[in-house]
Amino acid sequence: MHFISEDYHNDPKGLPLFELSGVSFSYPDGKEALQDISLRIYHGDRIALVGQNGSGKTTLAKHLNGLYQPRKGKLLYKGLPMQDEQLNVVRLEVGVMFQDPDDHLFCNTLYDDVAFGPMNQGLPEELVEQRVKKALTDAGFAELMYKPAHFLSYGQKKRAAFAAIMAMQPAVLILDEPSANLDPKQEKIFREMLAAYEGTIICINHDLLFLYGLCERAVVMSNGHIHHDFSFNDLVSHPASLREHGLDFSFRFSCCQSDTPHRHGKKSAKDSGGSEGKLQNVSPALLELRDYHFVYPDGTIGLRGVDMALRQGDTLALIGENGAGKSTLASVLLGIEQGQGEYLFEGAALNKKRRQELWRRVGMVFQDSADQLFCPSCWEEVAFGPQQLGCSKAEVAERVSDALQQVKLADYDQRVPLNISGGERKRLAIAAALSMRPEVLILDEPTAGLDPRGEALLLEIIKGLPMTIILISHDLFFVQSLCRRAIVMNQGQVIRDYSTAEFLHDGHLESVNQLDFTYKNSCGTEIMALQEACLA
Amino acid sequence: MLADARVIQLPLAQTVSLGLGLLISLAFLVFHRHPDDEQSSQRHHHHRDGEPDWSVPAIDDHADLHSFFHDWDPRLKIASLFLYCFLVVSIHSVLWSFVSLVVSVLAIMASHLPWSGSIRRLMAMSGFLAMFMIVMPFTVPFRPGETLLVVEGLSRFPFHVSGFLLALKVVFKAMAIALMMEPLFATSPLAVTLNTLAGLGIPKAICQMVLLSHRYIFVFLHEMKRMYRGMMVRGFRPRTSFATMRTVGNFMGMLFVRSFDRTQRVYDAMLSRGFNGTFPSYVHFRASGVDWGKAALWIIIGLSMLGLDRMF
Repeated sequence: MHFISEDYHNDPKGLPLFELSGVSFSYPDGKEALQDISLRIYHGDRIALVGQNGSGKTTLAKHLNGLYQPRKGKLLYKGLPMQDEQLNVVRLEVGVMFQDPDDHLFCNTLYDDVAFGPMNQGLPEELVEQRVKKALTDAGFAELMYKPAHFLSYGQKKRAAFAAIMAMQPAVLILDEPSANLDPKQEKIFREMLAAYEGTIICINHDLLFLYGLCERAVVMSNGHIHHDFSFNDLVSHPASLREHGLDFSFRFSCCQSDTPHRHGKKSAKDSGGSEGKLQNVSPALLELRDYHFVYPDGTIGLRGVDMALRQGDTLALIGENGAGKSTLASVLLGIEQGQGEYLFEGAALNKKRRQELWRRVGMVFQDSADQLFCPSCWEEVAFGPQQLGCSKAEVAERVSDALQQVKLADYDQRVPLNISGGERKRLAIAAALSMRPEVLILDEPTAGLDPRGEALLLEIIKGLPMTIILISHDLFFVQSLCRRAIVMNQGQVIRDYSTAEFLHDGHLESVNQLDFTYKNSCGTEIMALQEACLA
Repeated sequence: MLADARVIQLPLAQTVSLGLGLLISLAFLVFHRHPDDEQSSQRHHHHRDGEPDWSVPAIDDHADLHSFFHDWDPRLKIASLFLYCFLVVSIHSVLWSFVSLVVSVLAIMASHLPWSGSIRRLMAMSGFLAMFMIVMPFTVPFRPGETLLVVEGLSRFPFHVSGFLLALKVVFKAMAIALMMEPLFATSPLAVTLNTLAGLGIPKAICQMVLLSHRYIFVFLHEMKRMYRGMMVRGFRPRTSFATMRTVGNFMGMLFVRSFDRTQRVYDAMLSRGFNGTFPSYVHFRASGVDWGKAALWIIIGLSMLGLDRMF
């Protein structure tokens, strides 16, 4: 473990925007969140604030915005302490975007949401209207200006929240996990919006590939301390630093060390258009949909003429942009939604009774694991499913123990689900599904919100699962590592159903569903080149 | 008791037939959907495995239309319609209660608002009002000289016509006022309505709470649906049992905790954008002669009904 904390700016550019000296902070429950933080942030800095969950990143961000006051030490903005009038100045000049966009959209219409900040800045009505219209138009919401936020999708809400902050024309932008839960297309839009911003950026993100090219400086935190403060390229060039702080993403590119042709941003000379060949699973279909349609009550088409079959032992990836119909398809397979068309399970058409019993055979882990956790302890959470199955007490106990072992949460019986980390909650949600021993397990965006260490652990767990898997994911690496087969959806239809190898070499996909999977691969390649240069 | 009353004997068979016929007609009226209404029904009654949709429609979904009420200054609209409602409550007779209901129906038609919102509002009250209609005719105190309907063989349960008329009056007035809530609140954006109420003396803190509650009802409902779905995929089916009560208790507790956490995060987001305790607003009110005329019209209608009610 090394404690290098270098002052990034050997030649300070005049007065720092933020100056922290010996700042410490602890929460009311006594938890020390920040310990002796000293940091200078200058105008124009583009900082990646990284570290493991619980390292103090969000706490530090809340200090920079004036939401928290340090228990010890000095915190200055433009040379003045963040108190009284200066605190108001900070709140109006420093824009913060938290992870959940619904927290930022609290007014009755998007117009009111975006106008909230400029009105608090005391701007005249005409100027407020001008800024609001510009911000919403830039974000693509010119026609939805007077609609409330609950009509928007998650990605749209994120853009709307960003517009609400940008309308204030902040000098500093602090972003907490801006790319979390976004599909590649929306991530790209977001990245472009951030790249166009000319002020100071402080970005908290586990995804270093998103930050690459956007941030020049990296501040790495660990246990409330600043461990590193150097250039972003210096951070990503040292695998040891990345590993130590749980940021090592190089496990995603282990494929680079093999000779197998694969998609990696640049076409390989050895690319032969698919080396794994066609799928060979000839076992009878476990689940089958034939010409299946589903329409939501408001008339939105969820699925159009879907034909698919899932066989025992299949590992299937469902891929497509947000709104393509992946989650709808999952809901239909679970028996939660019912449309028109044939749904066969083990060759027999599902009647109402059999559909209502489908939950015994098909399990699902939601994208937001918090939606599945409602019990006061981890043990009760995992036991819930077997109890609904009518298992005896002894069998429930056995299943709970097995499931917790499988997800490496063996000692977490009495822990409260709300008090464990995001990665642990994800594993707990998986355990809660595993304890029911389903034949088919649907995983919806399992890597959402996880840091690289959490992703690596999750990958290991999922690889060891014995059942048929359906993986809904934008994460190409996970798709490639876990699934032999890929179904690509667009606007409720299945547009491709082939092997994962064929998917990875399909040159037409981006034009069909506008998902750019190659950007991060190319970033990864450049970073690996940096790492190799450092070793040389 | 029967000796002091005007008793009308009803044959049992015909009474039961009539009663059943009325019930079936009422059920048909309430539950039958015309083909044209099917799409509207699907939009508002999402049946998933028979589960009805309890989602809350936004109160000002149709605030961008134009009508007698939409184009009325919100301050005068709210003040005069509230006064009108108080006048309606003061009506004593069944006839003028019915007239007030007709006026409310005409108001909804004049506001160009869809009937779905009004019907949902009435349906929400229907159970309570039905209770009045069923219980009051059999439980009001006896007054000498009143008319009683007695079904042969059931003389211990006379049907008091006075009780029936009293219940009818309550139902008419309740429906009249409930229907007036649509033109009152659904014809202006919620923020404007709340600004108006604040200007009329309602504490600003309450208005801000209503504004935030309206927005986050949808968020919490969405969370509830996702959480309930999470329970369903693990086999939860509500039954009358302690296990169900425990599960529902956990569910409600988790929802409360998540709501509490969100409240703190929303407040942080508001502070981060310069919130200083008051929602900023650029709402401007301008009352014209037409607006004053509309206010006078409604008050005159209310006073006229009350006056005629007292005279006849």
